[in-house]
Amino acid sequence: MSKRLVIGHFYKKLLNLYGDNGNVEILKYRANSRGFDVELIDIDHDVPTTSETLQKINLLFIGGGPDAGQKQMVDDLVKNKAHFIKEYVENDGVALLVCGSYQLLGHYYLAADGNRLDGVGALDLYTQHFGKKKPRCIGNTVAKLSDKILNDPVFKTLNCLDGYVTGFENHGGRTFLGSNLHPFARIVKGNGNNSVDGNEGVFYKNTIGTYFHGPLLARNFHLADFLICKALGVQSIAPLHNEDVVLESLAKTVHTASLKLK
Amino acid sequence: MLVLSILITKISHFLIRLFTRNPGLTWPGHLVLTLFPDILRHPAFSLSKGYIFVSGTNGKTTTAKLITHILKAQNTKVVTNKSGANLLNGIVTELLLDKSIFGTSHADIGVIEVDEFNLTLLLKYIEPRVLVLLNLSRDQLDRFGETDTILERWKESVAHLKLNTTLVLDSTQDVFKEFTTLFRGTILYFNNSLEKNLTYPLKGDFNVKNINAATTVVTSLGIKKTKCFTALLSFDAAYGRGEKLFYKNTFYTLFLAKNPASFNNNLDILAQSDFLDTATCLFVLNDAIPDGRDVSWIYDIDATKIKTALVNKNIFISGTRAFELALRFKYACVNVVIENVDCNLKNVLAKITALKVKEVVVFPNYSAMLQSRKILTGKKIL
Repeated sequence: MSKRLVIGHFYKKLLNLYGDNGNVEILKYRANSRGFDVELIDIDHDVPTTSETLQKINLLFIGGGPDAGQKQMVDDLVKNKAHFIKEYVENDGVALLVCGSYQLLGHYYLAADGNRLDGVGALDLYTQHFGKKKPRCIGNTVAKLSDKILNDPVFKTLNCLDGYVTGFENHGGRTFLGSNLHPFARIVKGNGNNSVDGNEGVFYKNTIGTYFHGPLLARNFHLADFLICKALGVQSIAPLHNEDVVLESLAKTVHTASLKLK
Repeated sequence: MLVLSILITKISHFLIRLFTRNPGLTWPGHLVLTLFPDILRHPAFSLSKGYIFVSGTNGKTTTAKLITHILKAQNTKVVTNKSGANLLNGIVTELLLDKSIFGTSHADIGVIEVDEFNLTLLLKYIEPRVLVLLNLSRDQLDRFGETDTILERWKESVAHLKLNTTLVLDSTQDVFKEFTTLFRGTILYFNNSLEKNLTYPLKGDFNVKNINAATTVVTSLGIKKTKCFTALLSFDAAYGRGEKLFYKNTFYTLFLAKNPASFNNNLDILAQSDFLDTATCLFVLNDAIPDGRDVSWIYDIDATKIKTALVNKNIFISGTRAFELALRFKYACVNVVIENVDCNLKNVLAKITALKVKEVVVFPNYSAMLQSRKILTGKKIL
């Protein structure tokens, strides 16, 4: 196989709180199982990034981290890496951003005390924390994937169970999308972006931003395969290797069971 | 107020135990605190030798039990919350149960494990003689919020400690570095290095820390280190923390695995100690309120450790989220037989019993540990 999945894993060490790094493990496993080579590039806050680094990558992942602990990452992301990430997203690069990193790729984060934290500005959205006026959004979630994903020709070829995505959300900030942006999904259960407009996450070009932990790809393997296809630029993907029949059946069970979690 | 509180506690504790299989350690204290929120300020709560508080994400129960064990061996009378009821209500229950109806205490010293979040609250009422902070890592995010929230609360509490309190800290934990500037009293440190020529009664690097923490505390009270270790020769693991139970001709050793840190620790024990390569292992993962509803953390367990420790093991998985743990193991390249995965713990135990193996290692999370013990011992707690 000549196709090679190169995952740029940002801030693995700083953002290791919500199990999101599992997403990378899952992408690697599922690509390997189809015979694709996978290279993981760790890009931490002390690793300088250039356009060339990002050109090597065909899948970018950033997870979520502790509110306060994210400071170190924010400084680096906004000061040193914003330009390259913006470029990557704009040029149809495939990216998955969970929770904190989803918020930070927007224009800004307005903290409860009124402090404004500038974001990367790669996505037309902003996030506001309403302090004690609004409760933290915590719990198991279910959402229906947006039509833009459901109608995507690649997604249609995937061996997927249904058009739903499930996860666990745990966020204080509430995110509002610009009028031209599509959400990643529409909330069936839980709060999603802001508990008001029914939107969950964002789907812009080939970038998915979401509040769903779980981790997302453990509970929704069809999305893992969708991201792998997009990253490799293929229209469809073979089933997992024969030895992974049990894994795939477990993955289905987990997805179906998590739709019913309270 | 005090006599009434004692009566309420003793009577309701007795009735709960009589009519239910509940240990009755939280509800009496809850009732007392509802009626008298400031009960802990009552002078009857002061003990002649004061209090030792133990808090941290992992190791509270074991460390408190170690301290208690050593003190009792020196004939000190101790009141302790050994069953792990470590919220304010549980602590109030245990302290009131120790008193006579006239309000006098049987104990000279209190060894109390305190939930990380409740510590700040308890410190407002009782000034301990020694405060042990073991470590701080992620646990129950949906209940606690993030680690930083707790760290901020701890820092504030430490800054307000009375100067005659002794603070005992793990010197290897970066989170405690700032504490030296916050507190001007005595700070004692422990770490994970083994004392030469002394026998450690528990397995695992993290237990070395727990034991060193306990001996640091007790030596600060004037007891010699060699005496501590002599006392510990007769130490049995705390319930669910390396505890061994006999059930239907098989020994079950329980290692509480409730968050990534404790799960990793236990995987190390499994990989390094004398368990068979092909040992039978039972994992139980629940998502009850005390566990946290979110089990995403199973992907923060070190994948390499999972593979190293479990590669040839005979694995059984149960609990309300059994299938998610099974999938997590599969993604870490560990073989899991689907027939050995069942949310119903009784079914899985029946299958294991049929194997007629000598020994089974059990890794349950919190509510799963209570549930496993209930089946394996035939009673609720302790």
